[in-house]
Parts: sequence; structure tokens; C-alpha cells
Amino acid sequence: MPEILTTILFLLVNGLIWGLIVALIAIGLSLIFGVMGIVNMAHGDIYMAGAVLSFYVTGLLGSFWLSLILVPAVVFLASAPMERFVLRPYEGHHSSTMIATVGISFIIQQAVLGTYGGIPKKIINPWPISFNFLGVNYPGYRFLVAFISILILVGLWLFLYKTSYGILVRASMQDREMASAMGIDVNKVLITTFVIGSVLAALGGVLAAPINQVFYLMGNDVILLSFIVVIIGGLGSLKGTLIAALSLCSLEGVLASVLSPVQARAAIFIVMIIVLIRRPRGLFTE
Amino acid sequence: MNGRLEKLEERRETPTYLVLLFLLLLLVMGIVLPKGARSLVTHMMIFCILAMGYDVCFGLTNQCSLGHAVFFGGGAYGVVLSMLHLKVGILPAIFFSLGAGLVLAVIMGLICVRLSEAYFVIITAIFFAVFHLFAMDLTWLTGGDDGLSLKLPSISLGPVNLSLYHPMVNYYFVLTFLAFSYLILNRIVRSPMGKIFVSIRENEKRLQFLGYDVFRYKLMAFIVSGIFSALSGGLYALTLRYGSADFFSFHWSIMPIVWCLIGGLGTLAGPWIGVIIMSLFQYYVSAWWTYYLILFGIIILMILRISRKGILGYLISRRFT
Repeated sequence: MPEILTTILFLLVNGLIWGLIVALIAIGLSLIFGVMGIVNMAHGDIYMAGAVLSFYVTGLLGSFWLSLILVPAVVFLASAPMERFVLRPYEGHHSSTMIATVGISFIIQQAVLGTYGGIPKKIINPWPISFNFLGVNYPGYRFLVAFISILILVGLWLFLYKTSYGILVRASMQDREMASAMGIDVNKVLITTFVIGSVLAALGGVLAAPINQVFYLMGNDVILLSFIVVIIGGLGSLKGTLIAALSLCSLEGVLASVLSPVQARAAIFIVMIIVLIRRPRGLFTE
Repeated sequence: MNGRLEKLEERRETPTYLVLLFLLLLLVMGIVLPKGARSLVTHMMIFCILAMGYDVCFGLTNQCSLGHAVFFGGGAYGVVLSMLHLKVGILPAIFFSLGAGLVLAVIMGLICVRLSEAYFVIITAIFFAVFHLFAMDLTWLTGGDDGLSLKLPSISLGPVNLSLYHPMVNYYFVLTFLAFSYLILNRIVRSPMGKIFVSIRENEKRLQFLGYDVFRYKLMAFIVSGIFSALSGGLYALTLRYGSADFFSFHWSIMPIVWCLIGGLGTLAGPWIGVIIMSLFQYYVSAWWTYYLILFGIIILMILRISRKGILGYLISRRFT
């Protein structure tokens, strides 16, 4: 196979795997918006918190794999009261939630800066095996990331579409007032949704930690990408978000071979503007 | 009956005479204040212009934009680049900064204003983030993080030559712009167009039913807001004598929101109170605690929780009811 094709394929696979992580984060964002009407500017910082927590778990307990269980538990314990006691009064007012979550984002970032420090650190690759893939030595950890992300996405799909509680979540997503009138405990659904969304972001952070550098501002880049993804896929549309995340990230990955990272990001941005002008509510919403 | 209705309508506007008195006070303060305090007040006055500009967008037409850093930075670079490359004087450079604000606001407005609230917030935030990335990346144009520094020529007004290097001249230069900005915006707010802006805030659907082209008026408010934000950015670049990618940073998107919320949305001069409080807060607290942004986050959550009227909005509503 000619070398250029291998390079492109390599970048495409890289982009797809990064796209799966972004899909986890963006679906959390989309779910939270769809059910609760929160434009969550702090979502990227929950991703960052996931990565930082996994850094600590790896350092203290000596095993990266434990953080896949411990970090979601910590984020679960932190995000449920956050929704109930901090965000509840603003829900439904999009601009108020946006401003409030910016405040939360400042708090998380500064708390991490104060404890973890401002220097980017790296987690050692927990699975240092490489596969021979198209004649290139490809790190096995990335395949594992793809596998785990797909598992999580399938789990989420099973939860939303095959369990009775998932039906309640989807009902609240379509019409909250009606759902409440039918006797659904909407308050509980709201907390559950916010926790699921946050845990998805944190898991994204854990998975990305050995690939990216762990830095207290690493959420800013991801929140931008996830918002672009969510806008193109359609706010509140989970299927659209998934497709948009995979296609945009692989597009950006391939473009990065000829353009600089910022130019590739600009190209994605232009794609978003065009989509927005043609389909103001995203590609996958009716 | 008629009188009462009028009062209800006027409720959120600041009495003009109070603002004029305050401007007079600023005029006197320029001579009295010690050097350090004077430069702090100069900065505050520049921020007041940004706050008023933002208030037109958020306070009057209820469009919560996170993209005003684009206009602020665009205005700053309008001044810096035109002075560096076209060698223009200070006053023409300010026109370049207004022009930059106008162009950016028209482009962004045409894309964003039509959208629903959630999309508007997100897209303006994306615009800000992409412009910030570009400003950091295109170092040959913007100087990146290090920035580009300026040499200021003097302004000649007939026989007198004024140099902005003199802090007193700089103070009164900024004060002039603040006063003119207030008078122009006050005129706009009290005009029939301003009434339509307020009606958009109060009930957008109803205005649509009445046959107004809501999009046009929202776009107009957005553009006015962008131009004044750019003016503020240009003046800030002139005062600091440099421009850097920092002018596009998130700070300039979030601060106007906080100023307006503290001072009072839609009161035009109310955000000045927010500027004064937040500038003093930053000045003293940031020196005392490195992670003062945590307090800043808590303040944001608290103001939102207590009231969206703000300090001046509260005082005015007390007076009229």
C-alpha cells in the first residue's frame, strides 16, 4: 500500500478513536441539555476533573484501571448535590444556566489549579502493548479506549431504550410538564440525568488521560469541540451527536495531516457555520 | 392611567441627571485623585463603555452573548494594526476600531441573532473560542501572547498638542468618550427604537404578532452593542499602549455579564456600579489570594440566585412603585 494512504488511514483511525471519547462527552452535554435545559459550560471541566482524579488514583493506588470505577463514583457523589442545590433554581432559563455553569467552571478550574498545580503532567501508558496495524506499530491502549467507549455507549443505549427508567428519562426529555403530570418523579429523573451526563464526561477524561496531557485547562479545548459537535448533530439529539462526533473528529484528524491544528479547527468551525445556515437546528433533528 | 403606564415603562432607566452629576464628579476627580487611583479610574471608565455596550445587547433585548470578547479584541486590534501598518493618528485609529467592531458584529449577528436562546449562547461562545485560538496562533499578525506595542503620536487640536502619554490627558480623553457614549446610548434607549428593544425583552412573541421585524431590531441592538464594545477595546489598547491575544480572552466575555447583573440589566448606567465593585474586588482580592477566581465563581452564582435586577434596578423599582 502506498505510504500516503497508510498515513491517511492511520490518522483516520486516530480521529475515530478520539471521536469516540468526544462522543461520550458530547452525548453527556446533549443529554443534560435535552432533559434539563442546562447549557453546561462546566462540562469540559468535569472531563478535566475526571482526568486529574485518575492521575491521583494512579499515583496513590498504583493502578490506572481502578480509576475507571473510582472516578465515576466520586463524580457521582459530587454532581448529584451540585444539581440539586446549585443548579436547580436556574434550570430551563438557558442564559442563566450558562452564566451559572461558567461560575462553577471557574470554581473547579481554580480548585484544581490550587491542589494539582498548573504544570501539565502525563500518566504512563497503562497497557504498553502495540499491535502491528497496516505496517505501523499502533499503541494497543487506543484500541482498548475505543472498545471501552463503545461498551459505555452501548450500555447507555440499553439504559435509555431497554429499561423502564430509561423510558422515564426519554419522556422527560420530550415533555417535562406532561411527564410530571403522568406521575413521573421528575426531580429524580433530573438528578439521574445530570449524574449520567457528568459521569460520561468524567469517564471521557479518564480514558483520555494517558493519551493527552493532564492539565487544568484541558477542558477548554474539549468543551469547544463538544459544543460544535452538539450544534451540528442537533441539541438534544443523541444519535446526531454520536454521528457528528465521529465524523467531525475523523475529518479533523485527516485535515491535521495537511493543515496546522488551528487551521483544522477552523475548518470544522466553517463546517459548523455552513450547517447552521442551511439547517439552523442541526442535521439530525426533525 | 396614562401616567402610570408611562412610569411602568420608564422603570428600568436611570434618571439622566444622576448620571450627568456622576460624570461631573469624574471631571473633578481627574484633578484631585492621586496617580495610582487615577489610572484605576481610567481603566474603570473604559470598562464602563464595554458594560454599557453589553447592556444594550443583554439588558435591552435579552440576548445573552458570550462573544463580546471578539468585539473587544477586534476593536483593540483595529487601533493597534491601523496605527502600526497604516501610520494613522489616534482619532482615525479609533474609527478603524469602530469599523472593526461594526464588521465583526454584522457577520456574527447575521449568523447568530436569528437562532433560539440556547443556540445563540453556544454559537457566540464558539465564535469567541475560535477567534481566541486564531489570535493566539496568527502571531505574524497579532503578536500572539507577547502582543504588539504602540508608539502614540500626539493629538493636535488647533494650537494645542495633547500627548496620551500624560496620564491626566489620557484620563480626560477616556472621560470624553465615556460621556459621548452615554449620551448617544441614552438617546437610543429613549428613542422609539429603544422602546422596541425593551419590548423585545419583555415579550418577543407579542411584538412579532404586532408585525415588527424582530430579527432586524435584535440585529440592530447587537451591532450597536458590538460597536461600543470595540470602542472600549480600542481605548484600552491606547491606554495600555499595546495589544495582545489577551484582548480576546474569556475575561472580556464574562466580565460584562457580571457587571450588568450586579449593576442592573437594562439600566444603561447601572452596570457602572458593577464595574466599580468588580474592579475594586479584583484589585484588592487578587493581591490577597491567588485563587480569587473561586470567589468570583461564587459571586456569579449568588447574584444570579438573589436577583436579576441588580443594585440600580432594585433602587429604581423601589422609587417608582
